[in-house]
Amino acid sequence: MGKMMSTLLGLLSLTCQDTSPLISEMMDHRVSFIKRLKIKIHLSMCEVCLYYKKQLEIIRGLSKNLGREDFPVKANETLPQESKQKIKKMIEANK
Amino acid sequence: MNKQEIDANQWVDRYGDLMYRYTLLRVRDQGAAEEIVQVTFLAALQAIPSYAGRASEKSWLFGILKHKILDHFREIKKDRLFDLSPEDDPDPCGYDSLGNWQKMPRNWQLDPEKSAVNQELSEKLMLCLDNLSDKYRQVFVLKEIDGVSTEQICNEFNIKPTNLWVILHRARNQLKNCLEIHWFDGKNQE
Repeated sequence: MGKMMSTLLGLLSLTCQDTSPLISEMMDHRVSFIKRLKIKIHLSMCEVCLYYKKQLEIIRGLSKNLGREDFPVKANETLPQESKQKIKKMIEANK
Repeated sequence: MNKQEIDANQWVDRYGDLMYRYTLLRVRDQGAAEEIVQVTFLAALQAIPSYAGRASEKSWLFGILKHKILDHFREIKKDRLFDLSPEDDPDPCGYDSLGNWQKMPRNWQLDPEKSAVNQELSEKLMLCLDNLSDKYRQVFVLKEIDGVSTEQICNEFNIKPTNLWVILHRARNQLKNCLEIHWFDGKNQE
């Protein structure tokens, strides 16, 4: 029984190198049950990969927020003055 | 509901900067972003008679802008291969012979939900996004900033799903490394 368990665990064990792409892939679609199980087992033993998973979640949250229509505009991200004048003239002419 | 007022004379002052930043984040190129904003206002002018007033003036303009940005993506798609190719950057994270991280990911000590609105970190992420190759940046923007589905991206840009996941993994790793260098390493020295 003990031997069977260790063989089974061997089949299910992943390295960090194997786990890293799977953690990312898991964010993009529902991965198979066996993959999820393998990731879960690895994460239960590997704190560093848990940090990695959290880093990707932080990047995801930031990215989503960055894409908002109302995200504050910094001084170097404003529509250049010449463009503004040009568009205003265009609007005036096409009204 | 009352029909919303349209005032084209105020558009540029009210929404010009917001629309430009929104576009610049997605297309990266300043000239292209200016042009897209301009084309959007022109299209909006022509569409005023059919404006139903159900959405606010701002959401209506952003709706047109989103279409124009997509048009731009379709245009550049013609001269750019989006699928993974051998010339693309490899995974920037290294591993040793046992498959362990060469540089261990660190605990950023941030709550993913709360940190999403962190202004300083957002600005660093903007810089890091600009360090990505055009292809990686484009794919990442569509998936993570605009929330376009895997299926849609694959159909629109002729990418195989497995390749899309590889691109996203590498892009995320580059961003994570970049944030680590430009934000977390600095913070730790403070």
